[in-house]
Amino acid sequence: MTVSKKQLVGLGSAAVMASMTFGAGVAMAQDGELRGNIRVVIGSTSTGGDTYQNSSIVVDKLAEQLDLNMKVDAVGASSAFRTLDRDPRGNTLMIFHDQSYLGFLYGVQGYENIFEKYTIGPTVAINPGNAYLVPKDSPYENLDEIIAAVGEGKEVRVAIQPGGVSEIGFSALKNAVAIEYPGQEDNLVAVNTGSQADKNQQLYDDQVDMIHGSVQANEQFTRLPEDDQKAMRFVWLTARQDTIEQAPEDGMGQTSREQLLEYVEPNVTVTMGDDENFTFDKEFFFLYNKEMDSGIVDQIDEALAEVYAEGEIQEVQKNSFFIPNFKPSDEASEYLKNKMSRYEEIIENIQ
Amino acid sequence: MESGLSSLLSVSIDFETSHLVFPTIIHWILAVLFAIILVTKVIPFLAAVKRGERTLPIVGESMDGFRFFGTLALIIAYFYLMAVVGNMFPYTGYGFLFVSMPFVFLMALMYLHEWTKKAVVIVLINAIIAPSLVWFVLAKLFRITLP
Amino acid sequence: MMEFVSLLDVTFFLLAGFGALVGIIFGAIPGMTATMAVAVCLPLTYALGLNNGLALLLGLYVGGISGGMVPAVLLNIPGTPSSITTTFDGYPMAQKGEGEKALRVCVVASVIGGLISAAVLFLFAPMLADFSIKFSYVEKFLIILLALSVIASLSSNMLVGIFSGVIGIWLSLVGVYSISDGGNGKTRLMADFMEPYLYEGFSLLPVLIGIFGISTILLEAEKGVKSELTSDRLKLGKGGVFAFSIFKGRFTNLVRSSFIGTFVGMLPGVGGSAASVLAYTQEKNLSRDSSEMGKGAPQGLMASESANNALTGGALIPLLSLGIPGDSTTAVLIGAFTLQGIQVGPLFIPENANTWYIMMTALVFANIVMFFLMFFAIKHIAKVVMVPKHILYPLITMMCVVGAYAINYGIMFDVWTLLIFGVLGYLIQKIGLEVAPLIIGFILGGQAEIYFVKSLESFGTLSIFFTKSPIAVVLWLLILASVVFSIVMSLKSRAKGRQDVLS
Repeated sequence: MTVSKKQLVGLGSAAVMASMTFGAGVAMAQDGELRGNIRVVIGSTSTGGDTYQNSSIVVDKLAEQLDLNMKVDAVGASSAFRTLDRDPRGNTLMIFHDQSYLGFLYGVQGYENIFEKYTIGPTVAINPGNAYLVPKDSPYENLDEIIAAVGEGKEVRVAIQPGGVSEIGFSALKNAVAIEYPGQEDNLVAVNTGSQADKNQQLYDDQVDMIHGSVQANEQFTRLPEDDQKAMRFVWLTARQDTIEQAPEDGMGQTSREQLLEYVEPNVTVTMGDDENFTFDKEFFFLYNKEMDSGIVDQIDEALAEVYAEGEIQEVQKNSFFIPNFKPSDEASEYLKNKMSRYEEIIENIQ
Repeated sequence: MESGLSSLLSVSIDFETSHLVFPTIIHWILAVLFAIILVTKVIPFLAAVKRGERTLPIVGESMDGFRFFGTLALIIAYFYLMAVVGNMFPYTGYGFLFVSMPFVFLMALMYLHEWTKKAVVIVLINAIIAPSLVWFVLAKLFRITLP
Repeated sequence: MMEFVSLLDVTFFLLAGFGALVGIIFGAIPGMTATMAVAVCLPLTYALGLNNGLALLLGLYVGGISGGMVPAVLLNIPGTPSSITTTFDGYPMAQKGEGEKALRVCVVASVIGGLISAAVLFLFAPMLADFSIKFSYVEKFLIILLALSVIASLSSNMLVGIFSGVIGIWLSLVGVYSISDGGNGKTRLMADFMEPYLYEGFSLLPVLIGIFGISTILLEAEKGVKSELTSDRLKLGKGGVFAFSIFKGRFTNLVRSSFIGTFVGMLPGVGGSAASVLAYTQEKNLSRDSSEMGKGAPQGLMASESANNALTGGALIPLLSLGIPGDSTTAVLIGAFTLQGIQVGPLFIPENANTWYIMMTALVFANIVMFFLMFFAIKHIAKVVMVPKHILYPLITMMCVVGAYAINYGIMFDVWTLLIFGVLGYLIQKIGLEVAPLIIGFILGGQAEIYFVKSLESFGTLSIFFTKSPIAVVLWLLILASVVFSIVMSLKSRAKGRQDVLS
């Protein structure tokens, strides 16, 4: 016995229809509130990196607070922005850091002005680990010596990843040279590389004199004996002094907070002119679709405020070497806009 | 002589245009190889086709048009509808679940040569159970994002 | 030193074994990979604690890499990118009815590769890490070039094969010259309107399963999906029985491939699929009886599988002694450490001796569990091919979709990539281009670009490729040998072909 094709096609589509009506209930809820499953996309593709780690700490707590299913997906910057663009309902949120506007300032393809294109959500944490390192046997004792050497016409090569967080410290340094030793700034040369592995490798190959790195990834290298080819030492942490002061007393690995404070202002200064020093904290914050209901913005602000008021999340963040830094959306937006305009000046100065 | 050679080998790459260096090299290699293949393979082949000794690929071959184009159409509809339905129920995986069922069902029917009652029932059960199982394990248990 | 033993308990071993099992299942499903298995279980490790979490993840890693052999042999679809070379000999064997035998060869080779690399990891990790940093952009480019040279010996017609390989490289360049690899973040080889989709180019896994999986289905559909029972092909023929004697005289191959796998795995940025390709090349070049490789020779399986399992130990070397992941799976593994607040870096082993011994225990145990699970399950696994095609193909398509969508954590374009490359794979086979060289070109193309361009950027002269270091010279000799070998082979086979025609 055979069955007619038509019958079966009908059966198949009936099944689809039935299941649709079954699922439709999920989408019904009042406006201005998060509902259903929420996906938080992040601007990094790595699940071992700081963005993912920090986002999952925050999102886990937030999901608990809101009693919703939330999941962090490491889709990368370009895909994350695109996914966010397509969903004004609030089912897609994004967490990223300063790269989101630095990419725009540096004119990287694919980045747009986030303050125009998106709604800025709350900030949640700082990664205080942004650092610059030299080989342990480097002739330069500290950052001042490097600035002075460049000012005297010596070429200093720095390994960075162009177009963002990794470059901003370099740009500030270049700007400082331009201020203190006008005309000499071109002696500070950027060597464009990719991952931390690539930057380290450039140092071992003697292709660069200084690298961009982080406290987390490079701390162990600073504790190697000097005769080890891989040994390095910190010369500069870009974080603000009071950011590092909030770090756990034990610091990272076996480098204490005390020791880390030696590499931030006022011990190490990079001038921005007008008696102002450059600092850079890598801050994580939410980004929302511009069309998303403002009720959801408030809802997340409130939920996070409660989470931070409980005080447990701070412990978790500090354990993972993040500095808790909750600012509700309005405040965050204002603050980050200011931050961007400061860096915009630096980048314009050195061009 | 020495310096002549080293200047010949020296290249300076401008970072701003460095994304085009390698593709340009590849284009040249492709062009050269294509030219050689054109002369040594394609032209003799086309001549053979003209003489009637060989047939052209795809157009000159017999094919099961219904199943071939049916497969293509089904896959396109599957991918497209999955995103559409998935968008109605954001991040639940329902798009995958509910579109996979008819897809698996229809594709299996299309490939099935003898439509006996038993075979169709197996196909139907398979089309319901397999996507449900995959959806349950991956979307629910492992919390993988599905369309 | 032995105090770590007190940290082990039954749960630890159960988790490692369970991890291996789940990993095998993930690896065996076309489209699901070891990386994905580790990624989805990463959040679990938070609840499990460091030791048990690591046991689970390492089990998943070993199982996932091994599981890739199953669809590679039985369905001609590499389950994970690193099992691509397993398809070259595995599928022909399965077609001859030797699927079960092929799988057993793979399993044995896998466990040998895994254990050798674990031993190397345990004994020499810090030393090898110091050696691996001698490889700068220049040497890494030459390694890639060496792996690419397999294209010449792999193709049935050298000219067409190389052409296909270059097309593969071209396809890998589409999209952005990625900033995170050190590029300038600009896109190329595409029109502006494609940017929203193709910004990051085509990703490897969807390309792979599209070109192997979907195109196979299209080719079958064109022939009408004849319902001939596939199990006929799997019937144990006379040559189909597996015996350990098959490894006789293959000792060098196994050890060499395991070392190549370990070594390639430990070079950050090179690892992954290059390992098995390189091991396969070397077996093809160095073994005396390699003419059957690519047509169903067990030695090809041994090279490929021992190398890709050796990757596990190799990729852990830079992770644990430099803090740098050796491949995509270990990159996810790093998350397990950071979630637990443990730093990986050059001092990890001395400072976390217990964790280190625990990892080694888990790694070795997972390899052994993997071996027993697979060796005795093979009889049943091999029955996959007995599933009628009209049931099997829709399911393969569905799983390919899941895998493609999930590999980059949920991107719809990756699903369309499946179709694009399914159709492309169909077309290139129709017009007589070769799939294997194309895919190898695609896998290695992106890295070849970065290392080539970056070398020139740093040194400003082409001569650096020859004069950088003794390592570079050795690599050139290997490349030269590989090229000369494949030319000689192709001339030989041509002469033989002519003789056959005459006689």
